[in-house]
Amino acid sequence: MHRLKITFRVIAFTVFGLFLHYVLPQHDVVKITSTEIIRTDFSGFNRIFYAQADSGAVEQPTRDLRLINTDKKKTFLLGFMPRDKTEVMVYRNEDTGWIWPPYFKFDSSDLQAESASVARGDSWAVITHYGWRVRWASIYPNAIAVKLLDSPDVRVIPWFNIFFFGFLIVGIAFLRAMWMQFRERSIDPLIDSAEDRFDEASADIAEQKGRVTRWLGTWKKKS
Amino acid sequence: MGFVRLVVFGFVGLSILYLCISVYSRSVRREKLEKAWDEENVGSDDLASRNAYVEKGIAAYNNSFRPKLIGLVYVIPTVIVMVIVYTTNTN
Repeated sequence: MHRLKITFRVIAFTVFGLFLHYVLPQHDVVKITSTEIIRTDFSGFNRIFYAQADSGAVEQPTRDLRLINTDKKKTFLLGFMPRDKTEVMVYRNEDTGWIWPPYFKFDSSDLQAESASVARGDSWAVITHYGWRVRWASIYPNAIAVKLLDSPDVRVIPWFNIFFFGFLIVGIAFLRAMWMQFRERSIDPLIDSAEDRFDEASADIAEQKGRVTRWLGTWKKKS
Repeated sequence: MGFVRLVVFGFVGLSILYLCISVYSRSVRREKLEKAWDEENVGSDDLASRNAYVEKGIAAYNNSFRPKLIGLVYVIPTVIVMVIVYTTNTN
């Protein structure tokens, strides 16, 4: 039972961590090499890894997808340790619209124009994105913003994520306090009164039993 | 359409949060009042006066400014969404 509990917790924690890793913004130092548009037919499996059609447009089973091709600086430890090596990285560039994930991005065309303009030069840029590149399932991270850099040696401070995790901890502590208060004031008194009733009932039973045994005792020989 | 969905579901979710927080806040206040009365009247079991004291305190709390602050539950997320919309879509 204890082991089952631990396994369950580890799985829940991993799923939650992966979810946050997918959804929270990350910063890559890249050199944009080109931009392109490909026609995309989604499969039932990789559909959930794409956003919907541009927010003013209608949803169709197939549509064009904006891509940004880059050379990306490799990193260790989720981007905290920069390395000198580069690798190829491709980002999609889609409106997230009003729903999910809540980036409220409607400016994909502008971002594409910006990326194309950066691609003309030879400068480095920071791409803010969320999502993963999964090659065997044709899944791309979604680019949110592009910012020009003077040199590739920058340390981007993830302000949003710092505030997000701070808020998450405060929120969990608050929910916990709410739950404890609810338990202390609403559930425990119920349990107490139920226990009282149970005690009374068992006392009654004991008393009745006592009466019966006493009555039986009257039949015993007095010594 | 997406915007309408966001507003409707956001409103429902935030309303649930609002109700939970206002119940919680009132419960904390009630507990504080009970403890304050118990401290002042150690050993007394005058339940009627205790109840009157607590109900008076709760009524004062209901009329005060504090419970209205819980309305920020609606305001803050709206402001955050507006800030995100602005920062994401300007270049």
